[in-house]
Amino acid sequence: MAEYSLKSSSALSGYNHDFDGIKLRELTGLSILSIAVPLSGEAAAKTAIHTAFGIFMPEIGASTTSANLAMRLVRLGVDQLFLLGQSSDAKPAQLKGTVYTTDQSDVWIGLELSGPKARTALARICPIDLHPKVFAIDAAARTSMEHLGTIIIRTGNDAFVLLSASSSASSFLHAVELSIGNTS
Amino acid sequence: MIINHPLLGPRDAAEFVYLGDASLMERPDPQGPEAADNFHDYAYLRKNPAGEHRELWYHEQGDRSWLVVTRNTLTHEISKVELARDVAVTRRGGQ
Repeated sequence: MAEYSLKSSSALSGYNHDFDGIKLRELTGLSILSIAVPLSGEAAAKTAIHTAFGIFMPEIGASTTSANLAMRLVRLGVDQLFLLGQSSDAKPAQLKGTVYTTDQSDVWIGLELSGPKARTALARICPIDLHPKVFAIDAAARTSMEHLGTIIIRTGNDAFVLLSASSSASSFLHAVELSIGNTS
Repeated sequence: MIINHPLLGPRDAAEFVYLGDASLMERPDPQGPEAADNFHDYAYLRKNPAGEHRELWYHEQGDRSWLVVTRNTLTHEISKVELARDVAVTRRGGQ
């Protein structure tokens, strides 16, 4: 009988490419915990999240990071938060039942778009106003790009993280690559 | 068309789905004496104004909130955007 060995790989096989003025790479090993805050439970959730992970609850449309920058908490609506990390450090049990959690790590892919021309490339496909004064560092928004649902986070001066569904990862990457091509 | 979301700021209308007349939020009392008539009106009768119209929009590609948008059907000018949950809470008088 044939011996099979399975090798895990990320949705975009660790894509990493340099364009003129833009670096585009897949964020591998991303862990995502979705947090839903119950009605009137914001104060308890705030305390529990801070006690468990040392992160302050951000305003809607913004994100906060832990002191060592390993985790980022993104607030997308009144009661919707995403906790991003690089490993599964964030154990839902640490929140002691104050919020509803779902592990969404394998549902999303992350792309990091950075460099002086990153904003120009995004302007072509992102309906959010990304002007540095409007979309400040750590700002976050859930929107759609080329009809694919996307979460965009500004992680640096000229750096953005895009999250989209892993089931359409290749199409999403194609859309971003095309936008880079169209604007360069 | 841009819809100025009360929490998230100006967003492209492509992120939203349109449902229709905001009177859909005012569901009649099923135990009321004229429940059958009221439900007939609720299900089938709509105003068709040439001017200001209060309507429900769903922010599907966003925070999944329902909005009550006041839009002029002649000019598409949007004069007011409210969270539907706020509108519902106010109508019920508190929580």
